[in-house]
Amino acid sequence: MAESEFIVEMRHITKRFPGIVANDDVSIAIKKGEIFAVLGENGAGKSTLVSMLFGMYEPDEGEIYIRGKFERINSPRYATSLSIGMVHQHFRLVSNYTIAENIILGLEPEKKFLGIFPYIDIKKANRDIAELSERYGLKVNPEDIIENVNVATCQRVEILKMLYREAEILIFDEPTAVLTPQEIEAFLKILQNLREHGKTIILITHKLKEIKAVADRCAILNRGKLISILDVKTSSTDDMAKMMVGREISFTTPKVPANFGKVILSVENMSVKNITGLDAVKDVSFEIRSGEVFAVAGVSGNGQNELADAIAGLLKPSGGKIILNGQDITNSSVRKRIEAGVAYIPEDRHNVGLVLDFPLRDNFPLRRYYSSKFSHRGVINEAEFDDYGKRLESEYDIRSSQGGATITRSMSGGNQQKAIIAREIDMQTPLIIFMQPTRGLDAGAVMNVHRQIVAERDRGAAVLLISLDLDEIYDCADTIAVIFNGRINKISPASELSVEDAGLYMMGVGKSA
Amino acid sequence: MRKFTLSCLAIIISLIFGALILWLMGKDPVAAYMNLLQGSGLMEKARYAGRQSMFTDFMSFIDAMTPMIFASLSVALALKGGFFNIGVSGQMLFAGFAAHMLSLFIPSRILVVIVGFIAGALIGALIGWLRYKFNVSEVVSSIMLNSILMYLITFYINTFYINPVSRQSKSIVDSARLTLSGFRWEGLKVDIALAFPVAIITALILQWFIERTTYGYEIKASGLSPNAAYYAGMNVHRTALMTMTLSGALAGLAGVSYFCGYLASIQPGVVPSMGFDAIAVSLLGGNNPLGCVLASFLITIISKGSIYMSSRQHIEPEIASLITAFILTFAACSAFLSRKGKK
Repeated sequence: MAESEFIVEMRHITKRFPGIVANDDVSIAIKKGEIFAVLGENGAGKSTLVSMLFGMYEPDEGEIYIRGKFERINSPRYATSLSIGMVHQHFRLVSNYTIAENIILGLEPEKKFLGIFPYIDIKKANRDIAELSERYGLKVNPEDIIENVNVATCQRVEILKMLYREAEILIFDEPTAVLTPQEIEAFLKILQNLREHGKTIILITHKLKEIKAVADRCAILNRGKLISILDVKTSSTDDMAKMMVGREISFTTPKVPANFGKVILSVENMSVKNITGLDAVKDVSFEIRSGEVFAVAGVSGNGQNELADAIAGLLKPSGGKIILNGQDITNSSVRKRIEAGVAYIPEDRHNVGLVLDFPLRDNFPLRRYYSSKFSHRGVINEAEFDDYGKRLESEYDIRSSQGGATITRSMSGGNQQKAIIAREIDMQTPLIIFMQPTRGLDAGAVMNVHRQIVAERDRGAAVLLISLDLDEIYDCADTIAVIFNGRINKISPASELSVEDAGLYMMGVGKSA
Repeated sequence: MRKFTLSCLAIIISLIFGALILWLMGKDPVAAYMNLLQGSGLMEKARYAGRQSMFTDFMSFIDAMTPMIFASLSVALALKGGFFNIGVSGQMLFAGFAAHMLSLFIPSRILVVIVGFIAGALIGALIGWLRYKFNVSEVVSSIMLNSILMYLITFYINTFYINPVSRQSKSIVDSARLTLSGFRWEGLKVDIALAFPVAIITALILQWFIERTTYGYEIKASGLSPNAAYYAGMNVHRTALMTMTLSGALAGLAGVSYFCGYLASIQPGVVPSMGFDAIAVSLLGGNNPLGCVLASFLITIISKGSIYMSSRQHIEPEIASLITAFILTFAACSAFLSRKGKK
């Protein structure tokens, strides 16, 4: 058989999921010993593409060749046997095991006590791993317990796990998303070191700087399609960013010129810690005026969730102030904020926005059930629950099989989202927060949501729109803020910020504002 | 409706299993099941002892069913709020004991009920507080409390409050007992469960409380989705505490109607198995208060009628517990099925 120049070849790969084409006729070929980056926005299909290489999905069409040989990779186990390893975005480690135990899991070196009773030769494991970590310059102490070590160490453990299994092709899915800048630098060194040892590395990322620093070649995906494969040394980051985001921005939502009024929300030097106690939002300040759609753009996991939760009251800021209509609400409870006029469409509509096992009608008054409209001295006004549900269902075209009695869980995602938006918009609050309002919705529903966002603005509300989708941002926004690593590094009128620049700021390479 | 069908299915399958076992033992299942009904005063027995009739059997059946209604309501309410109150037994025991102690000083039925309510509520509140303050699973804390309370009470009874003949605690005075035992009526000796109307009214109130009040709305929302409840601006911690307090109070009522009603004394060294059976009853009743009343009715037929069945068919009364266990298993399965069916 002819020895191929390429260690990995994916030919004409197409993968469809219900409602979307994740990969559309994508062909890439990766040389042995190179660092090959896959670049794209959220939802561009990067993860799907390499997941197929690791046997987590099988392609609907197309073929995969490993070392020149056609392979049907139908499980991670088979991928491992082809010496392919993958580090996932979320680490897969047993937190109360030692580093060595995690690494050998599934491949334990055995010894036999009295020649019959097998037990794990942990001493040999510790020795092997110490030796392995020395060879590749991945400093770990095999006897440390995972829960006592930091994220960067966990990542090194994941890499050692692959190396212990003698992987030659190493896949990294967004490896730097959780690391600090210094850790990122160290990590990039590790990648180069691995390349020197002859490993082939596939790096999924949307951070241009990192690609520029270490990658040899780079494939750019956009909406499932392969845009180009570039030689990193000869391409500029600007070009790459343009290709990654570059597309027709369709101003499909009809908008009258904005008419800003007084300041409704003002956030001053706010910092928020996430549940693990790390600073997710750092010293953020901005103002939103009446009649303004203030959109926050950014790549997933840069503090958007915490920003929205802190303003809505679900998280307490660790510093700074939140002022709504001149009233300091920094430490107010969720309910106080609802009463002060904060409507919130949360990202997680299943676990947060709705009680899925409630009938639809009970979900409409979810945030106002105690008010005199819906109850009297603790007794629920059932007629009002019914009437209110009926009104919202018809006004906002929420469809369900049995009207108000439908168990919310059984409804389609689009209609569930409509129900949340209807509930929040109907409160007619001075501030309304939309967090990823169109995630998972089809095109028609997206249009509809965008119209509602603009209608809220025109009513005179201050609208905070947080989205990962730049199209959505440009479609609705009057003002765009870009968040990166918990900081807002650019605030600009929408008309004065090009998509390319927004893309750069999203990746933290733009000049700070 | 689906829940109701599944519950019926669970009962039918369990009865078939029970019948199979009876048949394998060489007994007549139909006769045995008829004995269950006869023992519960729902079918005429061939013969009655003096001062007894189908009516007196039925009245003592009601007497046995009363604490079961309270206990299953306790489980049902907790489940609505997302708690698995497996400590109903301990709460019953504590409430029953507290009422016994009080009745030594002031023998009053009203006071027995009030003390039972409060004593149960205190234990429930403790479990709820441990959960939200220290994140102790209510399953663990309530099981532990079962043992702690049982041994403390056993110690006290064995030391200060024992009836040396029956090896039980001393009996509660008649004027404080919630069952009018051996009431003479038309030449019969009838046991009248004074707490039974209270149990039915409690079930009705609870149904209304859960479905029609904002508190019930908060309990359900917090139980089904704590995140959504928090987002809705509810005080999830306070709701959890309230749910467990009320659940404990209901268990307390079960305790007094059991230890100061159906029974007059407390047996040291054991927790009442009713607290665990109540879980089956609640699941069978679809965690719905009125469903609990129906399910209590059914399960009590099996437990109460088993004594007569065992004497007639010469089989161990444990066979009844076995059938109850089957029902618990199938009811738990059907609870799972009904949730799955909705997805």
